Amino acid sequence: MDRVSRSRLLRVSLTTAAALLLSAAAAAPLTAQTAREIIDKVDRMMRGESSHGRMTVDITTEHWSRSLDMEVWSLGAEHSLVRVESPAREAGTATLFAGDEVWNYLPRVDRTIKVPPALMMGSWMGSHLTNDDIVKESRIVDDYDFEISFEGEVDGVEVYEFTMTPRPEAPVVWGRVEEQVRKHDLMPTWVRYYDDEGTLVRTMTFSDYKMMSGRLVPAVFHIIPADKPEEKTSMTYHELEFDIDLDESFFSLRTLRARR
Amino acid sequence: MASDAVWWKVAWRNLLRNRARTLITASGLAFGYLAAVVLVGLMDGMMAELIENGTRLMMGQVQVHSPEYRPERNMHHTVGGYDGVDLEALLARIESDPDVTAAAPRLYGGGLLSSGEETRAGLLFGIDVDREQRVGTLLSQLSEGRLPEAGQYEILVGLEMARQLGLEVGAEVVVVVGASDGSMGNDLFTLVGVFETGTPAIDANYAVLPLPDLQYLMAMDPGRVHEIALTVTRARDTPLIASSLAANLEGSDYAVEVTPWTELRPELAEMLGLMDAVNYFIAAIIFAMAIFGVANTMLIGTFERRREFAVVRALGTSPMGVGRTVVYEGVILGTISLIAGALITWPIVVWWHNSPPDLTSLIGGFSMVGSQWRPILRIEYSYDTPVICAVALFLTAVFAAVYPAWKATRVPPADALADR
Amino acid sequence: MRFRVLLKLALRSVGRNARRSALTAAAMVIGLALLIFSRSLSEGAHEQWVTSAVRMGTGHVAIQAPDYLESGKLEHRIGVKAYPRALDAVEAVAGDRVVAHAPRLTVNGLASSASSALPVRVEGVDPDRERIFSDLDEKVVDGRYLQSDDRLHAYVGVELARRLGLKVGTRFVLTAQSASGDVEGQLVRVAGIFKSAVPEMDAGLIHIPLETAREWLGTPGAVTTYAVLLTSSRDTGGVVEELHDRLSGDDLRVLGWRDTSPELDAALRMDDYGDYVFHAILFAIVALAIMNAVMMSVLGRRREFGVLQALGLTGAQTGWVVFGEGLFLTAASGVVGMGLGFLFTWGFFRDGIDFSGLVENESAWASAGGIVDPVIVPTFHSSQVLLSLYFMLIIGTLASIYPAMRASKLDVAEAMKFDQ
Repeated sequence: MDRVSRSRLLRVSLTTAAALLLSAAAAAPLTAQTAREIIDKVDRMMRGESSHGRMTVDITTEHWSRSLDMEVWSLGAEHSLVRVESPAREAGTATLFAGDEVWNYLPRVDRTIKVPPALMMGSWMGSHLTNDDIVKESRIVDDYDFEISFEGEVDGVEVYEFTMTPRPEAPVVWGRVEEQVRKHDLMPTWVRYYDDEGTLVRTMTFSDYKMMSGRLVPAVFHIIPADKPEEKTSMTYHELEFDIDLDESFFSLRTLRARR
Repeated sequence: MASDAVWWKVAWRNLLRNRARTLITASGLAFGYLAAVVLVGLMDGMMAELIENGTRLMMGQVQVHSPEYRPERNMHHTVGGYDGVDLEALLARIESDPDVTAAAPRLYGGGLLSSGEETRAGLLFGIDVDREQRVGTLLSQLSEGRLPEAGQYEILVGLEMARQLGLEVGAEVVVVVGASDGSMGNDLFTLVGVFETGTPAIDANYAVLPLPDLQYLMAMDPGRVHEIALTVTRARDTPLIASSLAANLEGSDYAVEVTPWTELRPELAEMLGLMDAVNYFIAAIIFAMAIFGVANTMLIGTFERRREFAVVRALGTSPMGVGRTVVYEGVILGTISLIAGALITWPIVVWWHNSPPDLTSLIGGFSMVGSQWRPILRIEYSYDTPVICAVALFLTAVFAAVYPAWKATRVPPADALADR
Repeated sequence: MRFRVLLKLALRSVGRNARRSALTAAAMVIGLALLIFSRSLSEGAHEQWVTSAVRMGTGHVAIQAPDYLESGKLEHRIGVKAYPRALDAVEAVAGDRVVAHAPRLTVNGLASSASSALPVRVEGVDPDRERIFSDLDEKVVDGRYLQSDDRLHAYVGVELARRLGLKVGTRFVLTAQSASGDVEGQLVRVAGIFKSAVPEMDAGLIHIPLETAREWLGTPGAVTTYAVLLTSSRDTGGVVEELHDRLSGDDLRVLGWRDTSPELDAALRMDDYGDYVFHAILFAIVALAIMNAVMMSVLGRRREFGVLQALGLTGAQTGWVVFGEGLFLTAASGVVGMGLGFLFTWGFFRDGIDFSGLVENESAWASAGGIVDPVIVPTFHSSQVLLSLYFMLIIGTLASIYPAMRASKLDVAEAMKFDQ
């Protein structure tokens, strides 16, 4: 279960990052576009886009904290591969997402394990993300209604604030999601998730915007559950490149098993 | 007082004179006693057996946890917190309670088991192999193989799990478990045995491995366990024993929660309580029938002697004298019959208690509301039942004899002799 | 001619000593009445337990696809083609014997809220049918049960609601593997919260409308189980057979509750065994009471038998008179005893006996809150009543043989002596 959840955590970070980075890259001159059109554009552009990078994930929970260095590859929303580089105890552990399937490679026993479908949505104690995140990334346009709820200056920066409300029957646990984006470069600053009663459940914040492979990206983001402010998951990109030469055949069990 | 001795003598002679009547009455009393004592003993035995059946597979009758552990069962809430406890000392302290018969430490982990192409979610159950056998019967239900040894990467799984994973004894199985440091413990184990409890939820989901192995896999110190399960001397009194144990364990440097099975499985407690109540109701009916049988026999016996009483009266005996003889007859008869009854009853009860007939072959073992059942009907010893039964039957016998005798002495001797 | 005289003598003999006859008869009457009462109470308790259990489960009779019982998987469902046949068959056998029948589409999945995610069992139900079928709708603690025009509504257990932070009206998402093998999400909102006191149900069961479940899982017109609830569990075998005949073919399987809940079957067989033992003891005590009463009365009648023979009857004829008397008493007692048994059982207890007050562990009772109805209505079972009656008649007849033998072999001169 832990395995699934961690995989998901990584996948979520990856796809979230990609989506947001792409939105920033793609939508430089924002003219009279509606919120939906902006997000839709992002959504469409994200598909088929490949990336490769290195990042550090720091997780702090009530019970433990840890730091993992990993290398990640992705192709659209459907394919990604994550390999842990350190700490040594877990180095080589890798996870492959291919469509609905999740596979793990365990170097210690030199085996690959397919996560049972029923467990793919399994919960992870202390996790700061829910299963809904994965679904949401690929279906965000289908599942939400969008509006620009605020447009103006916050702390000396011109921003948009979007409010995303799930459509009546969309399989989404959130009551609403809010996102703030800087107007001048379309960089996101935060995303807030609320439950049905309007209570803040968790916050994702973005920072350390820098150029990577010619694109401006937020290199750091944090996920903080509202009811446990002392807990946190942070992701920091060290390297990130786009539009590299990857196709679906890369995301195979053979690659998963290949040790570096 | 000399005259009193005479009446005792007369009573004794009367009993000897009419041996047939004495024998019938005495056998009624003795058998009534046997039936009543065996019945109540069976009732208690059935209840104890039901409780033990319901708790013996895995639950135990009392469980000790960290106060935060239930009901979420978060893996981090081990007994004594993150530091764990001095396990041997805690176990020794618990077992020093005279009502505790055995204690076994346990650790639970959620994980995956994988073999070849197949992977299943499973509940990893870390146990002390020796101690667990004293508390639960899970380890005695191996349908194949043997028990695992600590430090050898050996594991047991349920029959259904083995089937789903296509595992044979001796095969390798990959075990993955969420560890306490947030990492994923994983290692290769050898399947050394398969258990079959008959409870689908257990046979399909549980994997059993030695406590130290699971602790290592979950990156936990040897002093960290989630649960200590106990068995107690008197299953019926579990709630009382649990609260006295809780009081005994107070004043440690860590808090624990002591929970009796009645709180762990309230619905099982309710079901058994209801069965118990219905059974006792039926037992009361049977006991009433036994009392009635004895009373009826005595009544008929005494009524049939009206002629005899009339003759004695006609010969000059006072009504008081007749009454006394009958009472004394009743006392002697009651005492002898009940002693005889006790002499027959005792060996039967002892035998039935020690080697209760095992009906497994008749109705088969089975599971119910998630617990394992063993169809054995044994007699539980009781100290008040034999006394209460004896007193009740004795008083019944004496009163049932005295009433018609007293009525008989009211009737003029001539009428009685004329059979009117 | 002779026979008539003997019969007359026998009847007169019964009437002449009314008290003795009454006391002897009393043993038989009360014994039989108690047998009937206690048997019908046991029957009633069992019927009650079966009903409670099958209403929570899949009814007395369940129609499923052949492999569903073993696998519990959606792929083994009753498809859109087979379903109407199952429904027609059930409608055809329905009548007085069937209380309710209900379709179910059951799947194991995950329930996620904004705060957490937990494994659950989701049942797609027809709310109107289910309301009659199960009593889960009565266990509501907040909100309401599902209604026929509900779509995205869910009825969830209280412990699940607590762990997921759900209230009435809260949205949450169900995910499960659909018929096509993909993992699909379904949004629902809490319509009501129930507390059944069964931990597994309160922490893991969700009811949603059948159509919603079919749409979500991509199984239009399908069910996994068609459950049938009968008026009496005794009809199970007959209904299973009839349905089986109507549904000949290999795509549907008809199962009785003994197949679908082997645990319940086994538990009841164990309790049955306890009942047999208790009733064996009761029978023995009744037999003893009757024997004792008859023997006791025969002792006082030697003189009377002597008179009959002195008046010219042969030994054999005296024996027949005494035997006839016994038979008459037995027969009369049988009728009266049965009447009394019915009257007592039905007259006082037709509304059932509430055992909740007799349950020993009251705190457990309160916390569980009655999964099993503590009011037990005695149920007459004709075969049981007849068994008790036959038993009583046989004992009565056997008991009459002994005095008849004694009467026939009487030494007249000895008997006519003044008393012993």
